[in-house]
Amino acid sequence: MTATGRTMLAFALLAPLAAQAGERLAPPQELQVFDTPNDGGNSLTVTWAPAPHDGPGTRYLVMVGEAGPPTGTSPSLAGMTVIADFPSDSHYVRDARTPWWSRSVPKTHHQYEIKRGRGNGNGVKDGTSYAVVVSAVRGHESMMAPALQSVPQPNWFNWNELNNLAIVVLFGLVVFGSIQVARKREIFLRRIAGLDAVDEAIGRSTELGKPILYLTGAGDMSEPSTIAAAVILGRVAKRVAAYETELMVPHRDPIVMAVCQEITKQSYLEAGKPDAFKEDSNFFITTDQFSYTAAVDGIMLRKKPAANFFMGSYFAESLLLTETGASTGAIQIAGTDSDHQLPFFVTTCDYTLIGEELYAASAYLSREPVQLGTLRGQDIGKAVVLGMLGIGTALATLSVMTGLDVSIVLDLFKDLK
Amino acid sequence: MTFAERMLRIDRRIIFLLIGACTLIPLLFPMGLAIKTSPEVTSVYDYIEHMPEGSVFLLSLDFDPASKPELYPQAVALLHHAFTRNLRVIGMTLWLPGTGMANEVITHVAQERGKVNGKDYVFLGWSPGGGSVIINMGQSISTAFPTDYYNQPTASLPVLEGVQSLRDVQYVVSLAAGTTGIETWYVFGKDKYKFELGGGCTGVIAPGLYPLLRSGQINGLIGGLRGAAEYEVLIGRKGRAVAGMDAQSVTHLAIIVLVILCNVFYLTIRRSTRGGGQASPAGN
Amino acid sequence: MNFFRRRLPLLITFVTGVLFALQYYVPHPVSESMLTSVTKWLQIIGGFALVLGVTSLFHLHAVKIRRKEPGWGYSFVLYAGMIGTIAVGLWHNGKETVDNVTTAFGWIYNFMMVPLQGTMFAILAFFIASAAYRSFRARSPEAAVLLIAAIIVMMGRVPLGEHLIPLSGDLTQWILNVLNASVRRAILIGVSLGAIALSLKIIFGVERAYLGGGKE
Repeated sequence: MTATGRTMLAFALLAPLAAQAGERLAPPQELQVFDTPNDGGNSLTVTWAPAPHDGPGTRYLVMVGEAGPPTGTSPSLAGMTVIADFPSDSHYVRDARTPWWSRSVPKTHHQYEIKRGRGNGNGVKDGTSYAVVVSAVRGHESMMAPALQSVPQPNWFNWNELNNLAIVVLFGLVVFGSIQVARKREIFLRRIAGLDAVDEAIGRSTELGKPILYLTGAGDMSEPSTIAAAVILGRVAKRVAAYETELMVPHRDPIVMAVCQEITKQSYLEAGKPDAFKEDSNFFITTDQFSYTAAVDGIMLRKKPAANFFMGSYFAESLLLTETGASTGAIQIAGTDSDHQLPFFVTTCDYTLIGEELYAASAYLSREPVQLGTLRGQDIGKAVVLGMLGIGTALATLSVMTGLDVSIVLDLFKDLK
Repeated sequence: MTFAERMLRIDRRIIFLLIGACTLIPLLFPMGLAIKTSPEVTSVYDYIEHMPEGSVFLLSLDFDPASKPELYPQAVALLHHAFTRNLRVIGMTLWLPGTGMANEVITHVAQERGKVNGKDYVFLGWSPGGGSVIINMGQSISTAFPTDYYNQPTASLPVLEGVQSLRDVQYVVSLAAGTTGIETWYVFGKDKYKFELGGGCTGVIAPGLYPLLRSGQINGLIGGLRGAAEYEVLIGRKGRAVAGMDAQSVTHLAIIVLVILCNVFYLTIRRSTRGGGQASPAGN
Repeated sequence: MNFFRRRLPLLITFVTGVLFALQYYVPHPVSESMLTSVTKWLQIIGGFALVLGVTSLFHLHAVKIRRKEPGWGYSFVLYAGMIGTIAVGLWHNGKETVDNVTTAFGWIYNFMMVPLQGTMFAILAFFIASAAYRSFRARSPEAAVLLIAAIIVMMGRVPLGEHLIPLSGDLTQWILNVLNASVRRAILIGVSLGAIALSLKIIFGVERAYLGGGKE
C-alpha cells in the first residue's frame, strides 16, 4: 500500500472517533421519568433524546435513589445507586417493541426500564417517590441531567394488547352474528364426502351381521372434536337403530359417556326403536391412554366389528387402534383435528375427515344454527386472517424495498406486550 | 396369484420380524456413523452454554414411561450440561406417571456430577393442574410447591435463594410428550412471566412445534431420539441416544426399502391389469 | 332442580369466563392475585378429580363382578392391582426410592408400569412399518409427491441416510422449516379460531353440550 493509501485508510478509520471526540459531551436532553405504562407496577421508565456524542467511548449511567432531591435542581448523589451502565449506542425505545399507540416518545430515543430484574436485586416499590439521574460519561468526563422524580404505580389496563382485545371482540361479534343469521335463514354447506362413507360402512356391517365400533376420542366435552364426534354418533346410532345392528361405544371419559348415552337413546327414539336401545352400548373403560387402547384392541380382535369409527381427538394410540382394526378387515372411517395423528389415520383408514371437515360434518348432519353459524363465522375469521397475511406481507416487503415506515399498519397485526 | 400379489399380501409378522432384526442387530454391532447437528438443537445448547454460573435453569420433564426411550436421553444430556455449567437446576413434572422417572434421572445425573440436593439442585415433584401450576409458580414457587419431593421446605433451600417466582428463572426447557407440554409452558409461562423457553419432544410431535420455533416463541427444539443424539454430540458425551441412532438408521432404511418394494409390486400389478382390462389391484 | 343443573352452571360459566378473559388485559396486582387464587382452586379440584376417577373405576368393576358379566375375572385382577398399588404407595408415602434404596412402590413402578407403557409405545414402530408397506402407494400424483417427501425426510433424519445421500439432511431441514412450518401454522390458525369460537360460545351459554344430558 502506498503512503497516500495508508494515510487515507488511517483517516477513514479515525475520522469518526475524531469527530466523536470533537463532539462536546452534553447532559442527556429531553429527559423524562415516568411510571412504566401497561404493567403491574414496581417499575419506572426513563427516556431521553439521542445525542451527537452517542457512539463507542461514551456511556450512559442511570442512578436511582429514594426520596432524592426535588425535581429540576442540581442533584446530590448521596443515597443514589448506579443501576445501569451501558454504551451510548444501545437501549432504544424501538428495542422494547411497543406499538405506536402506546409510545409517548420517538423510537429513536433512548429508554431504560427500572424494575426488579433477574437476580440483579434492584427494584422500585409502588407508591414510593424515586429520583432518577442520567449521566453521559466519556473517560473521566461526565455530564448529568437534572434529577427527575416519579412514583411507580400498577396499571389497570395493558394498552399494548388493545389490538388483541379488538380482534377477539370483533371475531366474537362475527361468530354470534353468523349464528343469528343461521337461525333466520339457511346457510349453504357443501356435502361432506365422508358422510357417504359413513352410510356405506353401516350398510356393510348390517349385511355381515357384525357389530359397529364407535370411538369418541381422548378429549372431554369441552373440546370441539368431541362435540362433533358426539353429533356424528347420533346420526350413526339412528341408522344403526333402523337396521338393528349392534353398536359398541367404549369411552375414556365418564361425562362424554353420559352425554353419548343420552344422544344414542334419543336416536333410537327418533328411529322408532326405543326397545332396541341397550344401556350398555355406551360403556366406560378407563382414562389411561394405553390401557384404553389395549382394551379396545381386545374388543376388536374378539368381536371383529365390520366397521370402526374413530372420531374426535387422538394421540399416540391412534395407529395402535387403526392398525389392529385393519388387521380384522373392518372398514374404517376416521375424523380428527389432531394434525399429528392425521398421517396414521390417512394411511390406515378407508376415509378420513381432516380437521374442520369433522366440525363441518357434524354441522351438516345436525343442521343446528349454532354449529352452522360458528362454521361460517370461523370461515370469515380465516378470510380476515388471510387478508391480514397478504396485506402485512406486501407492506413489509414494500418497507424493506423503499425504507417506508409501515409500522402504523403492521403493529395492528402484531402481538406486542 | 402372481409373485407381486403374494408379496403385497405378505403376512405382517414377517415385516415385524424384519423391523425387530433391523433394530436389534445395530444395537449389538454398532456402526458409529457421524451425527450432524441442526440449528434448532444447537440453539438450546448455545443458550445454556452462555448462561452465567449460578443462573437458574428449570427442567420440566413432562412425559410418562411410554416416551422414555426418546425423552430420557434428552433429559440426561441436558442435566449433564447444566451441572457442568454449574447452573442451579430446578426439576419438576406436570405428568403424574412420570414423577418416578423424573426423580430418578435428576438424582442419578446429580450423583454422577457430585451435586448436592437442596444446594445445587431441587426436584419439586408433581402438582395437579397443568397450566394452573405454571401460573402459580409465576407468582410464587414456594406457594405452588411448599415442599419439594423429599418434603424439604422450598422457601429455605439454598438452591432457591433469590428465586421467588418464574420471573427469576433464566431458562426453562420442557421435555414434552404431548399435552400438557411446551405449548402450555409458553401460553401460561413465557407469555406472562417473560423467561426464555426451549423445548424437547418426541419425534412425532416435533413437526407441529416448528411454527413456535420459527416465530421465536421457543428458542430451540430437541426433536426425538435424533435431537437427543445431537445434544450428546454437542456436550461430548455420547450415550444411549447416539447408540440408538444406528438402530433407527437401519430401521428407517428398511421401511424405505419396503415402501419402494410395495410400490414396485403395486405398479407391476396395475400395469398388468390395465393391459388385461381386469379389476384394480387388491390389498387396499 | 333445573336451576342447579342448568342455570347456575351457566351463570357461573358466564361470570368467570368474562372475568378471566378480561383478566388477561389487566396487569394490576389485584387481577394477578385473583388469577392465583382461582388457579389454586383449580389445583384442588384437579386433585379431587383423581379420586373421582378411581372411585368410578372401582364402582364399574364392582358391578361387573356382582353381575358376573363376561370377563369379570379380569375385574378381580384390576381390583388386586389397584388396591395393592395404593396400599404399597401409601406405605412408602408415594416414594419410589428412600435413601437410594428402591421401595416396593418403586419396584412396581420400575418393573411393571415402565415396561408395560414402554411396550405399548414400542409396538407403534412395528405397526408403522406394516402400515407403511400396506398403504404408502403412489396411487395418484399427489400421493407420489407425499411419498417422495416422506422418503427424503426419513433419510435426512438418520445418520445413515445423510451418509448415503448428503443432500437429504439439508432438504429435510428445508421441508421441516419451510413447507411443514407454514402448513402447521395454517392448521394452528384454523384450530385456534375454532377454540376461540367454542370458548366464546361456552362463556355466553350458546354451547351447552359440556353440561351433559343431551338436547334440552
